[in-house]
Amino acid sequence: MKTVETLVNPVKRTGEQSPGKIYNEKLKVRARREWRGFKDTFYDYTRWLYLMSVLGRFILVPRNVKGFFRYRWMMSYLFVPHGMDKFTIGLRDEALRIAHTSFNFVIADVTQAIANCFRGDRRVGNDKAYSDKCVLTDENSMVTFMMGFDTDKVHTILREVPTMFASNIFHQFNVMHYLDIAQQYGIPGDVCPMPEAEAGISIDDDFCVLGCCAVQNNTTCDGSLMGNGIIAKRLEREYGIPTFQLATPLRHKEPDVLEYAAREIKEAIAFVEKHTGEKWDWDVYFTSAKRVNDATRCRIAQMEINSTPYPQFFGAAFSLYNDTNYMGNSGRNADFVKIDHKLLALAEKGYAAKRMYAKEYRHRCIVWGVQPQYIIDQLYWLVQCWGVVPLTDMLSVVNTDMIAEEDTPENREQAYRDMAMLNMEMIMRNHTHGGFRVLVDELWELCEKMNADMVMMWEHMSCKALTGMHGQFEEQARERGIHLMWVSHDLCDPRVFTRQAIRDQVNSYMRTVMREEPLDPSLENIPDNEAY
Amino acid sequence: MRDLKHLLYFENLLQEANNALVAQAKADGRVCIAYTCENVPEPLLNLAGTCSVRLFAPHTGSMDIATYYMTNLLCEPSRALLERAIEGGYSFADCVITPDGCTMLNRAVENMELLETMGKDNPKFFHEYMEIAFKNTESDVALSVLQCQNHILTPLQKNYGIDVSDEAIRKAVAEHNRLCELIRAIGDFRKGDQPRITGYEFHVLCLATYVCPAYLVLDKLEATLKELKTRKPDDKPWRARVLLVGSEVDDSGLVKLIEEQGAFVCCDRFCFGSYPGRVPIQLNDQEDALTQVCRHYVQNCQCPRMMNQEKVYGRKQYVAELAKEYGADGIIYEQVKFCDPWAYERTLGAAMLEQDYGYPVLSVDRPYNIAASAGQMRTRVQAFVESIEIKKIQRGGKA
Repeated sequence: MKTVETLVNPVKRTGEQSPGKIYNEKLKVRARREWRGFKDTFYDYTRWLYLMSVLGRFILVPRNVKGFFRYRWMMSYLFVPHGMDKFTIGLRDEALRIAHTSFNFVIADVTQAIANCFRGDRRVGNDKAYSDKCVLTDENSMVTFMMGFDTDKVHTILREVPTMFASNIFHQFNVMHYLDIAQQYGIPGDVCPMPEAEAGISIDDDFCVLGCCAVQNNTTCDGSLMGNGIIAKRLEREYGIPTFQLATPLRHKEPDVLEYAAREIKEAIAFVEKHTGEKWDWDVYFTSAKRVNDATRCRIAQMEINSTPYPQFFGAAFSLYNDTNYMGNSGRNADFVKIDHKLLALAEKGYAAKRMYAKEYRHRCIVWGVQPQYIIDQLYWLVQCWGVVPLTDMLSVVNTDMIAEEDTPENREQAYRDMAMLNMEMIMRNHTHGGFRVLVDELWELCEKMNADMVMMWEHMSCKALTGMHGQFEEQARERGIHLMWVSHDLCDPRVFTRQAIRDQVNSYMRTVMREEPLDPSLENIPDNEAY
Repeated sequence: MRDLKHLLYFENLLQEANNALVAQAKADGRVCIAYTCENVPEPLLNLAGTCSVRLFAPHTGSMDIATYYMTNLLCEPSRALLERAIEGGYSFADCVITPDGCTMLNRAVENMELLETMGKDNPKFFHEYMEIAFKNTESDVALSVLQCQNHILTPLQKNYGIDVSDEAIRKAVAEHNRLCELIRAIGDFRKGDQPRITGYEFHVLCLATYVCPAYLVLDKLEATLKELKTRKPDDKPWRARVLLVGSEVDDSGLVKLIEEQGAFVCCDRFCFGSYPGRVPIQLNDQEDALTQVCRHYVQNCQCPRMMNQEKVYGRKQYVAELAKEYGADGIIYEQVKFCDPWAYERTLGAAMLEQDYGYPVLSVDRPYNIAASAGQMRTRVQAFVESIEIKKIQRGGKA
């Protein structure tokens, strides 16, 4: 089997050595905050204050208070500070700052998304002029087709992100109600819970109602594609919001699908123009394209650092930040550029100082598959408890090609192909669809490139695209001498696999197969199954 | 009714994928093209020198090896096909052409390729995967044309020297239409109060046209059509007439089970059924045949993966129109367990057919091999038939 040299951290961690002790099974939150030494605890506290200020500013707006009491899912956002703490377990120095910088920005972005939803919502803010310039999009959606619309004039509303995706991160039980609603309606329990929950929210009529039109797509999976029908029915037939279905080819590595995908992008743009009354602006587009390329360069640089013995930016914060930037932003917001460079500077500083996240790095691990929403902190736990460094995850391995960024007649045509390519190469689906080569072969190439000796395979029970290659992963990992650790979960539903049941799969593998002892035994069993 | 003369012959053909007619086609020197989805244009697989065989796995029992490769979370048809392929059940195939229609079937075929289950001794053997249309627009027709060209016609010409000219396609369409017209004419005997063919018998005949080389079943179908014209129907009325809608039904046992409960399956709207798979293709002389074939498949496709709202609502309307045409008292929406596309389609379809069109609907999931869970399905159908009868009584009619 492949092995990597164990790397011992020469620097003893400041402050608390056993963060597992701050969990308390009687409480739904931790018993107290982690002591990280004065400097880092103070920094952590200031970031906590910042988050409270973001939330405070949000709730001072009367319509947001109204929305808070109207929508069931809003309860999740009471636990944002607790949720943020999940991402900083055991972190110090640059790692702590990277986690806060990236994730605080994501939280601020989601908060703004909720505020935007409430502003246009017919039930809450009912700002009709604003709503008439809003375009609804799916949660798992590249918004490349909005890259050429002035963000001051046309507003992209990823309605499902705050309602389902983000709220499930902060409150593990949030989605269960909507899954029950969907199954009560007749959708079976064996489909992917994410689109099922989104359909459930629509059936429960718990989405904000706003926008002049909606663009849906098929970017993730069969379940996601099919859930659109139920959501569109309510949008079109009850609320009179026209929908457009943006078809995105599945076999995205085949050159003979690109022109079709580009035509679809053109159609989506024409649809948005028709319903918003605003025109596509090439200056805006190419400015966005430059930002997309800049973000790509930063992401490549981060991945290169992670390929070294001292990876810096990884885990859930890396994944969620990249998701938000790559997919939900797609170069439209200039603020992401500043954050990208700030994060890269922090990572370079950490790399230069050879910072490590744990006492030891025993294994270098690629995390493949789709992560569960309700134990999003698992990767930090993995490195702290077992010294297994998650170098990158599947969702963060996205496009690395540059797109045309100069405004020329040729590039205007190329732009449609670039947008189509990005759309097809959306997170997750760029590996789960397009044939086994992008799912299986690219994993082994990544292991080679990043010098990984282990793969942690998230086996999301209802992700048929991934589980359909289960045996191939097993056999090919064996041939290549890669340790393959399967970790089953249910994406949104902690009733199927609790957090500890997920961790126990790792514990069991590390003890019985790897015959290792945990670096921090206080983390092996954490009483957080009932925690938010 | 008296048994159809050729029913046993057709039933025997359905006992295994590598049946007597497949062997005969091979002996005739035909290139056997295995495929897995209704979205592949069939006439393009039945050019001169080729014949299509849609893969199925009758009498599926254990799927242990396929379950190891794909887990028990994937739908049973995909695992059953893989298991059968690993067992060598599809060794007759000279190539496999599959669309990326649904994820699970696609993964099944990819596993077949990786495990080299077919074509080991055939240097010309190939696997091709196609992108297929998502909507019924001209852009999707153009996509379909390109995909058929690149993943069906060119590989067939390159590997087996098949004539893929416009003329050859037109000839294949003419033969395909002959088959469709025969099946449609036979199916028309299901209309009216005294049907001359049962849903089960019809399904056996229709299924055989998919899983056997079509050119070898035409004579028996013609004889059956002739026989039906004079066949004396049963006097005893059925308790209810139902339209069966849903994912792939390549197990005639399901239709038989439904009819054993007194529900006559008067129409079939499912993969391996006559709607929309056996609708003739109308060609004109102004446009090339390939484009017209592709347009037919794009426009007539009733697969749930077609995602534009016109198709989403259109599918329900299509079912309602069929129910009206065939005089259905109720609709059974079925889905093989773990099938994502049909899980949603069944749910929404059942709701809309009931609420918007006023039909009683039984919405049910099932195993691939119905014999594995016949009791549960029998109970569901019995209850449904009774509910239809009660509704008839409440409306003042006879049960």
